Amino acid sequence: MKKIFYLFFLFLIACSVHAGLAENNAIQQRIDNVGTRILNFNRIPKRIIFTYDEDSKADWLSKYKALKSRQVIVYGEQYQFVQTDDEIAAMLSREIATVIKSYSGMWGGTIDAIQVALSSKKFETVADKRAVDYMVNAGYNPLALIVYINKTCPQKRQDVIARHNLTSKRLARIYEYITYKYPEYLKDNEYINNQYYQNFLLNSVENRRKLEEKIKTHSAEEVDYE
Amino acid sequence: MNKYKALFLLFVFISLACTAEPLPYNFYDTACVPINLSITEEISTKNPIIEGETVKFRVVKDVRWQGKTILKAGDIVNAKIETVITSGMNGFPAEIIVDDFQIPNIEESQLISTYNKKGQNRCFWVYPLKWSLTLIPFAGSLTNFIKGGHAKIRPKDIVTIYYYPNWQAYKMPAMNIENEAE
Repeated sequence: MKKIFYLFFLFLIACSVHAGLAENNAIQQRIDNVGTRILNFNRIPKRIIFTYDEDSKADWLSKYKALKSRQVIVYGEQYQFVQTDDEIAAMLSREIATVIKSYSGMWGGTIDAIQVALSSKKFETVADKRAVDYMVNAGYNPLALIVYINKTCPQKRQDVIARHNLTSKRLARIYEYITYKYPEYLKDNEYINNQYYQNFLLNSVENRRKLEEKIKTHSAEEVDYE
Repeated sequence: MNKYKALFLLFVFISLACTAEPLPYNFYDTACVPINLSITEEISTKNPIIEGETVKFRVVKDVRWQGKTILKAGDIVNAKIETVITSGMNGFPAEIIVDDFQIPNIEESQLISTYNKKGQNRCFWVYPLKWSLTLIPFAGSLTNFIKGGHAKIRPKDIVTIYYYPNWQAYKMPAMNIENEAE
């Protein structure tokens, strides 16, 4: 009787391990599909790989890996926020933009990689903008980047003494970029019935008003978003 | 008989479902034609530039492929300013990224055309200066005020983009693709 019980117990463990592996494999495949689609449709002639890491947590060193090993790591804690392929594309496009930077410049991109790591605030905006371009070229809706960031990035009190921009500023800049470069996505807006997008519209009223003013006055100056 | 028909239809249905959709691109061919261009009017990050703005380039010399002239010297090619990176603290240079070159009779999918031009990178001397100044309290932070150089694309700069004539020409994916996850 004991033997049967042990055998049954071992069988249950084997089943759960197998299920976990199959689930990880499915996620990895989904990430690879979206990531490779972005690389191919943008005709990026550089090697970049995508790795799903369920257990580790993203820290400041994660960017270092993207810049040094040209490896985009998707952490379990990030993946839990994404629902659609558009949102995965948003997450990966940002990282691809960072990795691409490490390929250009002197000493095999080392200098540029160091600058990206040190000027993270400046490059954050660049990566957001490039991500929009990559997404559009690969056939994904760039508004998903707004939805993804709105869901995942916390809002700090200030960004004067900080390594990152205020999330509201990032979102406003992305919205401005889409408004000028890809207005068709806003005209024929698929995300209008998306509650996360509506939440962004709600919390960005002031910033969008500033953008409307900029458009009205045909100004080319940078808007000081909140 | 109906059973066989049903089985046959099921077989056809499964075969259709299993057939992988062909990719719109095929990067097998290595034949490449460089296209040299120069901008018609200087652009610089010193002046405000709008991302998405169209800029004009002039073909520097005739572009030929298999004895056929694709572009003549002096032809005008439109492109877009993709992204502008303004110069930043500690000598971080400004950068202009240009892409989306519109060449008659050539699809964008047959080009590798992203061009970027950076300003002067001052971090080579700013960072050593910063680290040496850290011996004096707060003095190292002063280098934060040193900005990198502006990026300029001048008419004398040669911009080379690459045309792959044997790559499949396709329109960029449609705006509304279905999400597999939904």
